[in-house]
Amino acid sequence: MSDNRAKYRTEIQQMMFVSGETADPAPETTSMIEGIVQQQVMVMLQRATILAARRGVRTISTDDLIFLIRHDKAKVSRLRTFLSWKDVRKSAKDSEDKGGGGDAQQLDEFDLASDPTLGTGPSVGTRNSKANKKAKIGLPWDVSSFYSEQVPERDDEEDEEEEEMNAATLQRLKQADERTKGMNAEEYLHFSECRQASFTFRKGKRFREWAGFGVVTDSKPNDDIVDILGFLTYEIVTLLTEEALKVKQAEDMLKRESGGDEEKKGKKRRREPGLFDPPEEARTPVGPKHIQEAFRRLQKPDIKARYMAHVPKGNWQRTLKLI
Amino acid sequence: MPTIEVPPKKAARVIDDDYGDDEDEEDEVEKESPLKNKTPHRATLPNGLVSSHTPRSPNTLGPSRLVKTSTGANGPEAAKSSEDVRKQHDEDKKIAAEKAKRSFQQMFYTFEHDRDAMLEQAKLDELDREVENEISGDASNPQRHGDPGDPSSAPTSAQKGSLGSADLGASSLTLKHLIARIDMKRHMVRASDNQLRTLISEVKRGRSKWASEDRVGQEELYEASEKVLMELKAMTDYAQPFLQRVSKREAPDYFNIIKTPMDIGNMIKKLKQFLYKSKKDFVDDLYLIWANALKYNTDERHPIRKKAQHMHKMCDKLVGLIPDIVVKDRAEVEAEERRLASLEAGSHVGDDSDEDDVPIKASRGRKAPKKGANKGGSGGNARKTPPTSNGSGAVSTEKDGTSTPGPPDGRPYLQTTASHLRNEFLRADSEAHDISSAGFSTPPPPGTATPLVNGASGHAQGSQADGADVVRSGQSTIIEDPDVEDADFKVWKQVTMKDRAQATSDRHKLFRGHNLNADEPALLRSKAGMRRWVRQQKLSSENESSLAADGAIGTDEPDQQAGTGDTLAEGIEQEEDSTLPDYYDSLSSIPELRSTWPSWVTDSEGFVVPQTEEWIRMFPRGHYVSNSNSHLSSKMEFNMRQMQDTRKVCAKIGIVKQMQIQAQTYQNQFQKYEPQPFEEADVGNVVVSEDGPLMAPWVNRAAFHRSVGKIFYHAGFEDFQPSALDAVTDIAGEYFRKLVEGYKNYCESPQLAEGRPRFTSEEQCLHALSEGGIALEGLELYVKDDVERLGTKLGVVHERMKAHLADLLRPALGDNAGADGVGAFNDGSDQFVGGDFAEDLDEDFFGFKELGLDQEFGLESLSVPLHLLQNRMHSAYQAQNNNGAVSSSGILFETPPQYDAITVENLPRQIGLVQDFFRNKLRANRDQSLVEDEELPQKQRFPKPRLPPTGKISSPRKRPLREQQQMAKKKRKLEEEKKEEANKIKPLKLQMPDRQSLEDELGGDPEKDGQVNGAMISPESITAN
Repeated sequence: MSDNRAKYRTEIQQMMFVSGETADPAPETTSMIEGIVQQQVMVMLQRATILAARRGVRTISTDDLIFLIRHDKAKVSRLRTFLSWKDVRKSAKDSEDKGGGGDAQQLDEFDLASDPTLGTGPSVGTRNSKANKKAKIGLPWDVSSFYSEQVPERDDEEDEEEEEMNAATLQRLKQADERTKGMNAEEYLHFSECRQASFTFRKGKRFREWAGFGVVTDSKPNDDIVDILGFLTYEIVTLLTEEALKVKQAEDMLKRESGGDEEKKGKKRRREPGLFDPPEEARTPVGPKHIQEAFRRLQKPDIKARYMAHVPKGNWQRTLKLI
Repeated sequence: MPTIEVPPKKAARVIDDDYGDDEDEEDEVEKESPLKNKTPHRATLPNGLVSSHTPRSPNTLGPSRLVKTSTGANGPEAAKSSEDVRKQHDEDKKIAAEKAKRSFQQMFYTFEHDRDAMLEQAKLDELDREVENEISGDASNPQRHGDPGDPSSAPTSAQKGSLGSADLGASSLTLKHLIARIDMKRHMVRASDNQLRTLISEVKRGRSKWASEDRVGQEELYEASEKVLMELKAMTDYAQPFLQRVSKREAPDYFNIIKTPMDIGNMIKKLKQFLYKSKKDFVDDLYLIWANALKYNTDERHPIRKKAQHMHKMCDKLVGLIPDIVVKDRAEVEAEERRLASLEAGSHVGDDSDEDDVPIKASRGRKAPKKGANKGGSGGNARKTPPTSNGSGAVSTEKDGTSTPGPPDGRPYLQTTASHLRNEFLRADSEAHDISSAGFSTPPPPGTATPLVNGASGHAQGSQADGADVVRSGQSTIIEDPDVEDADFKVWKQVTMKDRAQATSDRHKLFRGHNLNADEPALLRSKAGMRRWVRQQKLSSENESSLAADGAIGTDEPDQQAGTGDTLAEGIEQEEDSTLPDYYDSLSSIPELRSTWPSWVTDSEGFVVPQTEEWIRMFPRGHYVSNSNSHLSSKMEFNMRQMQDTRKVCAKIGIVKQMQIQAQTYQNQFQKYEPQPFEEADVGNVVVSEDGPLMAPWVNRAAFHRSVGKIFYHAGFEDFQPSALDAVTDIAGEYFRKLVEGYKNYCESPQLAEGRPRFTSEEQCLHALSEGGIALEGLELYVKDDVERLGTKLGVVHERMKAHLADLLRPALGDNAGADGVGAFNDGSDQFVGGDFAEDLDEDFFGFKELGLDQEFGLESLSVPLHLLQNRMHSAYQAQNNNGAVSSSGILFETPPQYDAITVENLPRQIGLVQDFFRNKLRANRDQSLVEDEELPQKQRFPKPRLPPTGKISSPRKRPLREQQQMAKKKRKLEEEKKEEANKIKPLKLQMPDRQSLEDELGGDPEKDGQVNGAMISPESITAN
């Protein structure tokens, strides 16, 4: 199990760094995060398999996975963006065999470089305008599925949902931008390297073992599913880290208000940074307890779950919430 | 004997006791005297008795007084006390019942304890039956019941099986000869002695069953004892454990501790077997029960102990009612009397014996007529008396003739037949007198003026205050009772138990076995019940007015008495007076009528004007339809309509796509999409009895179904399985129930001290929603995302669909048309052929409008139906697939120069062949330049010859008759189907053909037309717009 835990330490550290954790997190922290992520992925696969079985299909499809997170609209829209860009890259790779251009790891750079809201209009006149045009990923529960005929979209349609989801993406991009602003080239390089961290990219085999393919679900996953899972795992780590940072911040605030750490108590002068004080301690990294608390907060059942709460189900353990 | 019957009987006695009472007293005296004072020093007594028996003579006064004085303190006192106590007790009960009845009017009692009452009553009845069974089992025993305890009667009982010896009580007196007769023919009578006995005692109704000819004092003793027993038995709350023998199973060691077990049932048995010889015997047994109970149950807190103590207390109260009598054998008594009489004087032996007998008999016979009079009223009495007197008359005549046989029963009577006869006459006489006095309530004879009688008979009337006192004391004792029960309630329970049990068991019959037993007789309103209701109404109003009045009870009673005797029928039907208040017995009562209810109004012709309508409370309209001015629901409905529209477009797209693929299509190949508009039906006219929701589960469920279905549709499901609808309806119903339950809880939460509600109405709502797992944000999100945004999305999709359909129909206007639009032709699309584009331009491309075709055929669109172009479409589709991209570039042709119009000047420039032709033309045109055919006014144009698919060139003018007919037919058909058949040839020509040619062409290829029109369906026709 321990080696199992250790599988993704660097990736998780990188992801945490991108998500705002500057210090080096302890191995306990990363292994805890890894455990959480693994659990989430397994549950996701399990549920997706059940969904697929309900449709009468043995292999899970991307729709099954997306269906699981359908309530998180922002995430769904990010995922759709991700998938559509993936398509774009694929077709681009097909058309002009660009070396390394279609790397999935450059996804985020893609996002950064070409703002999806701006530059996605069809480049008229270019040869591969059609191919580069970002195809929208349709979902089976979209409005267009109401009708028997599927009709291609038109360019002049505006989609406010897309704008909304882009707002969320933009928020995140802006955050990253803020962070990178003060960086020098080296740092930025590090940062961008970290951004490419992924559970899945070029680690397909490892990931499959780790996520329990063949155990949880007997279907052989296609690339799309692995990519989606990679995206989702990234999201999970980001979310956990952000939440944990919030927890830690609150804790630090409380400590400062209540007089700081125990050993500093009673020394009022410590309040003021003295001239000969040792340099301010580097920020302590988030610990397992913070991750735990963050996970607890994220698992807090939403109010909708109260419905039918009175019905005894026999199993009082709450079902895991996908985050 | 039911306790209920007690009051009227007693009341009756009180009233007509003018005669009976004084005899009663004397009776008592007489009874007392022989029993208690057997010693000869009572010499005066027989004397008094003898003289007293010149009945109904005014001089009774003297002797009776003499009796009173002579009997001394002992007898009368004892007699009076027991009699008094009994009367007082009866009075008490009566008053209590009355009081209770009044209180029943002021207090509502529920059915709560009725079941217990029913069960207890059933138990009591069972006990009675048991005792009865055991006794009748004894009847096989040849020994008479009256006999065994009596040693002196033992020799007489040698004559077994004779009824005369059977103890028939006083009935044996009047029915003596009948009995003798029966005895003579005893072997021919099939009935058992017991049956005969009951039969005779029934015939001689009113005669107490305890009465015995042979045994002096038995009747009085036993009657009182029985009453006491019944009374004790009726206290079911306490008496229950003592009703039956303690079984070994209940208490294994009981018989080790209790050597002489006793219970009420056993006592009744003993009573019926005449085993008690004196009050003491009876009372001893009675106390034995409680003593046993206390002895066995030593635990202080044992419930039975408490009950036994209570019963003991009650017993103490009741025992006073029993006269202190020792039952004696008549022979013994008479022997005594005779002995005493013989001591007195020997001259009036016959008289003596005669008169000696009279008082006893009179006293015994006393009850029969009186009771008859009381029970049946005058009618009943009248019915009853004649046979009696007749019988006695007959007997007497018979006796005359057969005086020799003497006393047939072999009783050691000394009376002669003459005395018997005389007796009978006297009796008849007295009975007659009794009837008159009882029935018409004649003023009491002077005899009642004696102080003694006065004291006794006046007791009933004068003792109201006493009675009230007793009642009060009785009540107070009840209140002091350790039990916590409400005194009123207790009275209620005791007084009404029997009636409630009856009513409950009646009701119970209808529902036995948890079923609705349709075969059981219905509970009907009875006359007596209605009368009682009326009486109770009157009574309660009376009581309200004179509640405080002393004489209220006294005056009420005669009222009731008189009331019961209104008619003969009533008398017959009169059941025992029920003690239940009228609200309790809802069958026999009239509900209150509201003054606001419509009155009986007739119109001029005498018909009743129905006024009900304005009083009918209708269920308000609009509760079952969605609120029309609600923003949300109107939005949702708009979305749904939008969806329907889009689906219509969608269906068209499907058809077009299908037509592009298939070479031929048929009309029935495509399902027309004709959505029904959504309609919500309200409930019809419903009369409701109160405000509030309509309590019709199926209606509400159906309405809920509809709402759920609406939401389904709104969520994009075009149709759904009924089971899904059911399931969701159930879940939603359950959810709403829970939600409303929570809301109710918040609404009804106790108020704060200041009297204001704990929650404001907003808080109530929010709390309830939060309990149900709904946050306001969630609701808002739903409205925003799933309604409003869905609306815009639907709009987008609708536009997209429409555009797509337009693209399908005229791809020419797309991007690849080229700069001048020529490219539009290259893709082989039909938009110019079908004339579709013209519609957008609002141009009469084919001139159909000008021709008035659109009106003639009711056309809405002037483009050519696509199905007529399908081959073309098909090929176009193919072409599009093959060389879609090739011709998309726009090539700009320069417009060819116009040909010069042919004039006289340029005619020579034409080739020679046509010069003559043109010249002629020019000439015809008066040398004006010729006009091209294209530029001619439409009417003057010539039709262009067209090659029909057959390849044969037919003359345009030639038109066979057959085709004409076909044309006419087709035209009709066209009108019916609103098809644009007339357009079908148009696309071939860019000019408007004149009407003639049009018809020509139509007629030109009838076969094809027929096929096409019959089988095809145009997308435009599907467009219902």
